[in-house]
Amino acid sequence: MSECIVVTSGKGGVGKTTTTANIGVALALLGKKVVVVDADIGLRNLDVILGLENRIVYDLVHVVEGECRLKQALIRDKRAEGLFLLPAAQTRDKNAVTPDQMRELVQRLKENHDIILVDCPAGIEQGFKNAVAGADRAVIVTTPEVSAIRDADRIIGMVEAAELPEPQLIINRFRPKMVEAGDMMNKEDILEILAIPLLGVVPDHEDIIVSANRGIPVVFDESSLVGEAFRRVSRRITGETDVPELNLEEDTGMWSTLLRWMGLGPAREVAR
Amino acid sequence: MKDLINRFFGRAPKASKEDAKQRLKFLLIHDQVDLTPGQLDQMKAEIMEVIARYVEVEADENSEFKLEKGEGHVALVSSIPVRRVVQRAKAS
Repeated sequence: MSECIVVTSGKGGVGKTTTTANIGVALALLGKKVVVVDADIGLRNLDVILGLENRIVYDLVHVVEGECRLKQALIRDKRAEGLFLLPAAQTRDKNAVTPDQMRELVQRLKENHDIILVDCPAGIEQGFKNAVAGADRAVIVTTPEVSAIRDADRIIGMVEAAELPEPQLIINRFRPKMVEAGDMMNKEDILEILAIPLLGVVPDHEDIIVSANRGIPVVFDESSLVGEAFRRVSRRITGETDVPELNLEEDTGMWSTLLRWMGLGPAREVAR
Repeated sequence: MKDLINRFFGRAPKASKEDAKQRLKFLLIHDQVDLTPGQLDQMKAEIMEVIARYVEVEADENSEFKLEKGEGHVALVSSIPVRRVVQRAKAS
């Protein structure tokens, strides 16, 4: 059974696109046939995060308007077997597509793929409505900040209004040291307020910026803690229930850094 | 540094996470009923005007007028200390 999952947040800049890219890659590495769809028409970026920007010829709007076949617009990621990108148009706007057209597009994608992962634009207007139209369920990305959680709360309400099942939460940009010092809301604080099930916590880390610079999602890096966080989130998305919680305290001691550098680092029970 | 010294002497500044949580809860309640804190203040001022026609109320800082999250609903909670009844003539 194929499934369409929309990744949304309300607020911009919380890491939706990075999350979509990494989960997409991780699910493909788990053996799923995945399409990541950039629904942010006019401001496409999923292609850049995935490092596939140079291979775009056709986009989502071309497909919807019948200017090309669906297959022509899908970009195959050669690094991850089974992963495809359907890019957004860059020179059009959110009104170039209707919710009905998105629903139909998702139906067609489901014929050949297990998981359709839709990267929703920020905001609650047309772009959100389009992104949610074909979705079977939603994943909410937030950060431990007042503004992001407020918007997440609003979006949870809108997901329910769209008659999707209860969404699941990813807490991004988590900083354990600040939580320890009492200067950042912890997991429990956030869950108490948003009251939806948690998929996982992703630490804030420089790896994300380096991977964005290079166009290589961090889940490809077996030794990255952030990558591991996304891998575990992805396993939970597939319904795996016994994925252990990740220890977010990174061991930065000289000895372990050296060991990791030599490829002998302590295993973090790396997910396959 | 000052923080560190304060912490050492057990005068830790209140963790900012608590501020975040309080502000967030406050915001979400106001979002839910679509009434801004400013509008609530305005409403309070108008209600206080009416109350003052009937009873003498204590200074503003002693009264409470806020939205609170209840079981499945938001409640307007108010506590206004009253001194004594104003002369009837004034009320009519």
